Amino acid sequence: MISSALCSPFNLTGLILCPIAGVILAGLIPEDRVRFVYRIGLCTSLFTFLCSLLFWIRFHASTADFQAVEAIRWLPDSDAYIVIGIDGLSLFFVVLTTFLIPTCFLVGWSSIPQRKEYTIVLLVSESILIAVFCMLDLLLFYVFFESVLIPLFLLIGIWGSRERKIKAAYQFFLYTLLGSVFMLLAILIIFSHTGTTDVPILLTIEYGERRQLLLWMSFFASFSGKVPMVPVHIWLPEAHVEAPTAGSVILAGILLKLGTYGLLRFNISMCPVATLYFTPLIYGLTLIAIVYTSLTTLRQIDLKRNIAYSSVAHMNLATLGMFSLNIEGIEGSLYLMLSHGLVSSALFLCVAGLYDRCKTRLLTYYGGLVRTMPILSAFFLFFTLANMSLPGTSSFIGEFLVFVGVFARNHSIAGMGGVGIMIIGAAYSLWLYTRVACGQLKPQTLGRCTDVQRREAFIYLPFIAGVIWMGVYPDVYLECLHASLTTVVQQGAFELPRSEDVGPC
Amino acid sequence: MLDRAELLGLFPEILLWDTTLILLVLGMMVARTPARPAAPFVRTVAWLGLHCVLLAIVLVGVGIPITINSIHDILLTDSFTHCCDIFLLVGTAGTIMLIVDHGGRDTLRAFETIVLILLSTSGMLVLISASDLLIMFIAMELQTLCFYVLAASKRDSECSTEAGLKYFLLGAFSSGLFLFGCSMVYGSTGVTNFEELGILALTRSWGVPDPSTGIPIIGILCIVVGFLFKITAVPFHMWAPDVYEGSLTLVTAFFSIAPKIAIFANMVRVLNHCFHDHDWQSLLFFASIGSMILGTVAAMAQQKVKRFVVYSSIGHVGYLCIGFAGGTTMEGIQSLLIGLLIYLFMTVNVFGLFCAVRPVRSQYLGDLGVFGKLHPLFAITFSLTMFSYAGIPPLAGFCSKFYLFFGAIRCGADVLAGLGVVTSVISCFYYLRLVKLMYFDLPGEYMIPPRLDRDNSIVLAITVACITLMFLYTSPLFLVTHYMAMGLFAESGVGFSGSVA
Repeated sequence: MISSALCSPFNLTGLILCPIAGVILAGLIPEDRVRFVYRIGLCTSLFTFLCSLLFWIRFHASTADFQAVEAIRWLPDSDAYIVIGIDGLSLFFVVLTTFLIPTCFLVGWSSIPQRKEYTIVLLVSESILIAVFCMLDLLLFYVFFESVLIPLFLLIGIWGSRERKIKAAYQFFLYTLLGSVFMLLAILIIFSHTGTTDVPILLTIEYGERRQLLLWMSFFASFSGKVPMVPVHIWLPEAHVEAPTAGSVILAGILLKLGTYGLLRFNISMCPVATLYFTPLIYGLTLIAIVYTSLTTLRQIDLKRNIAYSSVAHMNLATLGMFSLNIEGIEGSLYLMLSHGLVSSALFLCVAGLYDRCKTRLLTYYGGLVRTMPILSAFFLFFTLANMSLPGTSSFIGEFLVFVGVFARNHSIAGMGGVGIMIIGAAYSLWLYTRVACGQLKPQTLGRCTDVQRREAFIYLPFIAGVIWMGVYPDVYLECLHASLTTVVQQGAFELPRSEDVGPC
Repeated sequence: MLDRAELLGLFPEILLWDTTLILLVLGMMVARTPARPAAPFVRTVAWLGLHCVLLAIVLVGVGIPITINSIHDILLTDSFTHCCDIFLLVGTAGTIMLIVDHGGRDTLRAFETIVLILLSTSGMLVLISASDLLIMFIAMELQTLCFYVLAASKRDSECSTEAGLKYFLLGAFSSGLFLFGCSMVYGSTGVTNFEELGILALTRSWGVPDPSTGIPIIGILCIVVGFLFKITAVPFHMWAPDVYEGSLTLVTAFFSIAPKIAIFANMVRVLNHCFHDHDWQSLLFFASIGSMILGTVAAMAQQKVKRFVVYSSIGHVGYLCIGFAGGTTMEGIQSLLIGLLIYLFMTVNVFGLFCAVRPVRSQYLGDLGVFGKLHPLFAITFSLTMFSYAGIPPLAGFCSKFYLFFGAIRCGADVLAGLGVVTSVISCFYYLRLVKLMYFDLPGEYMIPPRLDRDNSIVLAITVACITLMFLYTSPLFLVTHYMAMGLFAESGVGFSGSVA
């Protein structure tokens, strides 16, 4: 099985190595012809995207097994293999990653200094991110989970916009690292007790209750920083605001998904007893986060910070849905993550379009955008509506499924979450839009601005197509998720306590 | 008389001694000829010395690692010493390569530096394969005597003289302690050979009140303290920052690479092979904790390049000492060796970079700015090494830390693993600071970017490739170290008991 997989031309190793090939090509370009380097980056990432689509096409939706599995021996004496493979949980994250990276090249086509380094950093982070989602080995998952810090640290620190960027880069790095070392300890404990770090094997092992609680907390310490849950979410607005546009797109689109992906893959699948035990904790934290960050969003005056806080709210809603522990909830939460990857990345792109022209992100300088930039305002409106989950867009399907799942578990929590995200979310989204686009034109900032160019407009089109497609015909995505999620829920035997909860209140 | 096999086993040492003598004579003759009055001969000597070391690597490499007890059992050659010899020679070769180009510059006029480096390397080779308390002490003295001279080699600098004096006083003191420990052991057992001490330790119990029946704990503790002095572990680290800062950068590079390998190899041999009971373990436990904490905290406050490197190397010694906490388990020793080898690569790399910028001005960390803009390859190399020191995953530094912590958890030293993890997170802060200096800060004054010469570039390229790509194919490293640890335990017959989970 392994050898035949390695022989086929388009396998996962090839997908991971694709951007690396681009890195090598870009590295070989001499200094005086550096103009060319951007095309290489774009072409490589587009090619990677096409390759990843191939995996989607060839994906068997009927099975929960890992597909396209490859194994390469890594450590000699301890059965540590580099095992990669995808299943329903990870397939779309891989596709999302490869979808977003070409956008990162397109958005900074003319305005980025030090292009060679920029291309290399972007492609390296793409390769690492694909590897994280494919990796079926706990230790190597950790390795790639952490190693994405290096390119992103450099990305924020070097190409960030202001002096605060250094603080932001530090915060980003240290918050994530501090959480993850607990995961490292958990991995070491697992490794020294079972002798393997192979995820499919580890999923079949049942730990004792105390150990599950310990492992769960260690993993949670790491993933909660990435999600981000409420006490450790401070790094996110800082990092988002200071990062360059590509950095924000990667952060919001992919990096936040690492946390929720990890929660689903490791906390829920590997420690079901501890998951049930800690569910109230998650509910409490996510509810606080949803309401608190939604309210915080209302009083932000920085455009990027606004979107960053609304990302926190949406990711916490996804976590809430995930811990409803039934199929609808988890499917909804995965769907919400995918949709958020599209919507908030697109919103960051809109803000980048504004920032490139006016060189400010403060809301007070904006107003009457529709008069000078009608096309950008239209795109902005569309994605703002998608962000507040208008029916017909992808977020609606995600949020709807999440609330179906959470209602089945607990009415009052679902109600509070719904109030938080639906009402306050609509409030901040609409208020933000009206303050930017409607009202008096402010000639000192927007007076001389021209509307989006053709290249910029083309960037938004795939996002719009994706949002609408996911919104009107979700079945394409859901059928790929279904088998894997069913297995997760059945393995954890989460369905048992549900019958007690549901019933005439 | 030596027989054929013993002679073969001693071949690298003999080669180094001969080369040392030849180079010394040659240097004296050529340097004093009236035809070339002031020509510094360093470059040629360094070049010859480098090739001699490379030849020695080949000699060790092609030799079959069979177990040989030579010269009345005072030297022991087996697979462990075989690989350690190679590590040491690779480290020495790396350091000399950094020096070669400096021969032409004004910093290094005396060719004796190279001769002394070769001489101390031969001392360390003997130290690695020493199998007797006496020969161990003699080899260690040979090595440290060379070091005293090297530390004070820059005579017109006050710092260097002070460094030499400090190093000499404290080194002599620690040697005295060490010798006292050896004589206690000899006095109570009547034996100095490691093999026999090991057998004795198996049969007799420790800590018996009557000193005539067992090996006295005081003796062993004195020996361990002597070792801790030499590896700059924490309670006995006082000399290191001053000495390292005062000496020439090239000499500092040699100090912080080669002796660590030799002394750690010797420590493993002595502590695990002949004193394989665990009385010394608590001492190393605390030395490890202390080094990790002090290395981390103190490095945070440094402004000077070399002091920074010293404190970070003290921290790394702390991590390496975790390997001893596992005592006689295979994982402990294996992780120690892995950590040592990766430390070697990283340190050679860092010093290669510092040697490159040295002529310009590199006393303070702040001077490292601008390189991000003016010399991007330099900057990215430096940043990768710093990330690797910090233990960020895909780099080699993570492999070493991961396996050290794994060894600690495996043998139940959860405290050490937890503390190591926490300190390595804190240490990220100051390693990142260097990256920040390199890329994000704009310095007040610009200076000329360094000229990386050819040899230096080769060293840097090799080490950076090892650091970044090691995780893709770790099998050779793990196999070699596993083999070494096996070789170590094969004779003593202990150790496997501890490794079963």
